[in-house]
Amino acid sequence: MPLKFLVDTHTNLCIKCKACEAICKNYNEVPTGIYRIKVISIKEGEPGQLNIPMPCMHCTDPPCLKVCPMNAISKRADGVVLVDKDKCIGCGYCAYACPFGAPQFEGSGAFGSKGKMDKCTFCVQPYNQKDDGRLITKEPVPRCAVVCPTGTLLGGEITEINREFRKRVNSYMSKGLIESMFMV
Amino acid sequence: MAVSSLKLSRRDFMKVTAAGVAVATGLLRYAKNNNFIKKAEAASVEEAKKEGAELVKTVCIYCAVGCGILAKVKNGHLVGIEPWVNHPINGGKLCCKGASINHTVTSPRRLRYPVIKRNGKWERISWEEALDTIAKKMMEIREKYGPDSVFFAGSAKVSNEAAYLQRKFMAFWGSNNVDHQARICHSTTVAGLGNTWGYGAMTNNFNDMRNSRVIFFLSNPAEAHPVSFRHIFEAKQRGAILICADPRFSRTAAVSDIHLQFRTGTEIALIWGIAHEIIKNGWYDKDFVEQRTHGFEEAKKVIMQYSPEVAEDITGVPASLIRKVAYILATNKPGTIQYAMGATQHEYGSQNIRSFAILQLLLGNAAQPGGGVNAFRGHDNVQGATDMCVLSHTLPSYYGLSESAWKHWANVWNVDYEWLKSRFQSKDFMEKKGFTMSRFSCGVLAGTDAFPVCEDLTIDQPNNIKMIFMWGHSTPALGDLRYVKKAFESVELLVFVDPFVESGAALADRPDGIILLPAATEFEGSGSVTNSGRQIQWRNKVIDPLYDSKPDVWILINLVKNLDKYDAGIYRKFTKNYGYKTPEEITPEDVLDKEILVGARAIGMIGQKSSRLKKQQDYDYTFDPEDCRAKGGPCDGEYWGLPWPCWNEEHPGTPILYRNDIPVWEGGHDFRVKWGTEYNGISMLSGINGHDQATVDDVVWSKNLETDYKEILDQNMVPSGRGRARFYAWNMKDTVPVHREPIYTPRKDLIDKYPTYDESVYGEFHYRVPILSRVLQQACKKVNLADHFPLAWTSGRQVEHQGGGAGTRANKILAELQPEMYAEINPKDANDRGIRDGDLVVVVTPRGLEYGAGVAKVVCKARVTDAVPPGLVFLPFHWGGVFQGKSYLDRFPVIDDMDTRPLVAGDSANISNCPGWDVETQMQNIKSGICDVMKFIEFKEPSGLEETMDIIMAEVRKKMKG
Repeated sequence: MPLKFLVDTHTNLCIKCKACEAICKNYNEVPTGIYRIKVISIKEGEPGQLNIPMPCMHCTDPPCLKVCPMNAISKRADGVVLVDKDKCIGCGYCAYACPFGAPQFEGSGAFGSKGKMDKCTFCVQPYNQKDDGRLITKEPVPRCAVVCPTGTLLGGEITEINREFRKRVNSYMSKGLIESMFMV
Repeated sequence: MAVSSLKLSRRDFMKVTAAGVAVATGLLRYAKNNNFIKKAEAASVEEAKKEGAELVKTVCIYCAVGCGILAKVKNGHLVGIEPWVNHPINGGKLCCKGASINHTVTSPRRLRYPVIKRNGKWERISWEEALDTIAKKMMEIREKYGPDSVFFAGSAKVSNEAAYLQRKFMAFWGSNNVDHQARICHSTTVAGLGNTWGYGAMTNNFNDMRNSRVIFFLSNPAEAHPVSFRHIFEAKQRGAILICADPRFSRTAAVSDIHLQFRTGTEIALIWGIAHEIIKNGWYDKDFVEQRTHGFEEAKKVIMQYSPEVAEDITGVPASLIRKVAYILATNKPGTIQYAMGATQHEYGSQNIRSFAILQLLLGNAAQPGGGVNAFRGHDNVQGATDMCVLSHTLPSYYGLSESAWKHWANVWNVDYEWLKSRFQSKDFMEKKGFTMSRFSCGVLAGTDAFPVCEDLTIDQPNNIKMIFMWGHSTPALGDLRYVKKAFESVELLVFVDPFVESGAALADRPDGIILLPAATEFEGSGSVTNSGRQIQWRNKVIDPLYDSKPDVWILINLVKNLDKYDAGIYRKFTKNYGYKTPEEITPEDVLDKEILVGARAIGMIGQKSSRLKKQQDYDYTFDPEDCRAKGGPCDGEYWGLPWPCWNEEHPGTPILYRNDIPVWEGGHDFRVKWGTEYNGISMLSGINGHDQATVDDVVWSKNLETDYKEILDQNMVPSGRGRARFYAWNMKDTVPVHREPIYTPRKDLIDKYPTYDESVYGEFHYRVPILSRVLQQACKKVNLADHFPLAWTSGRQVEHQGGGAGTRANKILAELQPEMYAEINPKDANDRGIRDGDLVVVVTPRGLEYGAGVAKVVCKARVTDAVPPGLVFLPFHWGGVFQGKSYLDRFPVIDDMDTRPLVAGDSANISNCPGWDVETQMQNIKSGICDVMKFIEFKEPSGLEETMDIIMAEVRKKMKG
């Protein structure tokens, strides 16, 4: 079954502690200025503020893969979407295609000298996968999801995280029901 | 209100649903331990093995949650970290600071070897020379000015053993001028909670918060203690209501159900508004109040003066919201109160904390799982360092400074009491409280011409301070930095011991007289650390000290050894209990097992042998995160970290203080009998099974070094007694908390009704310095200071940095995540002043007017945000490297291969805090003040303030002379 991220925006959990950003930079040695995951805030400082960690979602049908003119982007059997830096020409099509802004470029701005695309690898290492026919058997563990103290970011096998998520939503819904009944 | 009509039905409904919640709880716990997480741990261990790396269990060095981290070590190098998934407290969860910790430890910006400043230049010196110079200077000062002319700032960043040795060192040196971060962090907690129910520490622990039905935040744990949210959200999932009281719309407020946006510094009025409603409606726990507390009627008299409407006027929180919160607290039990610096750092900080404790006593939430008052502490070992009492008013384990306390410790140290006394100037000085972190600079500048008012300043010791140690203490955290800077420039020798170059070393603009010693970080040495929940964990050494740095214990014992050259015999006396070993041979285990656990009886730090702590670490997986207790295995029945009181080597520890419904052998406890068994004819013993504190062989329990208390525990008695908690604390300056306006307040109209403390309350000298309070408030009113400074000022934290930021600002990941100091300002105030987001601004406050230095300025970027309400300005305090807009990065040591400048720098917020010192503990006020913000390019010194300054100074002078 495929590996996925699931970001819980349903229940406003993220406290923007940026553990995901820090562990990602630490573990994957991401260069300065690149954020393979970044916490964004909606309505910051107002009631209803929502913080959302945004990694690559490793889509089932990734638009970046479709638009890439060099076929540099691939989806592994376990669902992880990776980019081959040897093939990438830094055109930036993937950045336009991606609805989450996951592709990152070392250069400045989308139109500047961009450099090769860099994005979340689900903590698959080494990053540069040489196509020598060898399958990586080690199951990747996204460190951001492991360290997230609030449980906003779930990562792993899709049925497993779905189950967890469903339970969570149920517990919140019952709480919401009590609150709406008794106007707390 | 509609809710009141539903009161009964709601309660009943909750009872029914409780069963459902319990079922869900079981399932959720299962989900938390799901296969995925298990696999994560297995995978990382396997991966590390394949790489030839080793994973070492250790504890994070930042905040006091006490998160476990696996450090990845390859060929003796720290190459990364992995989550410690079996750790009961954090379960592998980390915040950005913990997640990038290896970059702090291995930062290239660390201080690599001892340096000295000579003729305006930094030079490398050897350890021998550095320690010898310091020892020689110390002895010179001792002979010339007496032992009290040395001020020693200890640390909450070091292990329990190092902190304990710091206090012991100053006791052997013969002065009480020793203090550390706890003074300006949670000293008011110790006074406030200690005077209410006996011990001044967090009553429950982080894991226990998942049992709460309502969590009342009075700080911002989302940014200061992010990993605590592992448990807070667990509680939320089980139906807990989160209420956040904060002047800002913080990240905690963003995830809370209710936000009470009160005016900074008005906690007591807010809490009393809630308590008023609870008492008026009879919602308080009558049985609890009757059987386990004392002085309810006195408290009631005060509380009933603060109706929600009065509270609304003072705090700005709508009365209807206060009523709603009171109802929620009364109908959802147990509930817990959580707080941190926002409540403690006021001139009435002790009273703020007392008001929280009193609210919990009223609700019957005290001494219960899911209840209690949870003081979240700041540094990784600040609880431990406080317990070791690196404090100027007490000896380790809060014995105080009385003759009997000295005799107790002389007994533990195996030295003669008379000899100890001879080390001091006199017996009087031996029992007199020393200078504190908040005001030690007065001890340097009194009688000098540093500032206009200093000439009239007198201190309560014959000679000024001539030498300052800053051992792992940051300067940006100290209030009134201009005064501190002057003090640093006026002493004869400044010694900084720190893994990084602390900003203070560069802040002091002097050509010579500074020595910097490179301490190793806590990853490079071992020792025990106490987290906020009193849980003691063993921190393993991960790597050898980098460069030429040394562990704190080594440095301290070597300093004693060097002193021994000039002060013969002191080394043998100091190391008597460790078998006169050499500094290299003395281990933290020696210090913990042979001295601390023998002497620190008053807090029950007795059974936490290093071997037990290490065993717990090995069998971490047997501990249930639900209650932190081991189920089966070699540690069966023990609580994680053996939280004190842990009465002997078989006791499992006491995770929840004062809980009397379980046997003492299982972690039961009770309110301490500390103020006699009777007050005005009313018994102070618990109404349930009260008894006085125990005596063993005619010696009071806390001073008997022989006993293991087994006989007492077998009778289900608590050695510290089973007493009553106090609503009414007759020994405090305010017997029951009352609202007092901050000294510099934007609400001039409330000054007369709620004045701050009169100077006479502080006495002539308060911790050896005179304190001004009401005279400043009256002057503020007289000259209409609030007209010049119309905005309220407050300070706080950023999630990416900690304390003075020397470590975090030298960490490349954290520096990238948060590269800037800023002032948060509301769009309305910004637009009124023509300030746009990102503009450079000057925050001006009246600090300094009272001693003739003119207004204080902080230059930083503006962050225009709705998170602060109109009329409030917020500054984070972690920054250094810039002073009032002028960079002093060029004064940091840069020698050949070593560049110690922080990666990012900013102006220090605490240049501009407003005056105010707690009447019990001398805590500084760095939370409520007044200020104005101006655009930097349009900035000019505020006009018309000279006259104001003269008026204030005249009042101050009059007071000091009179």
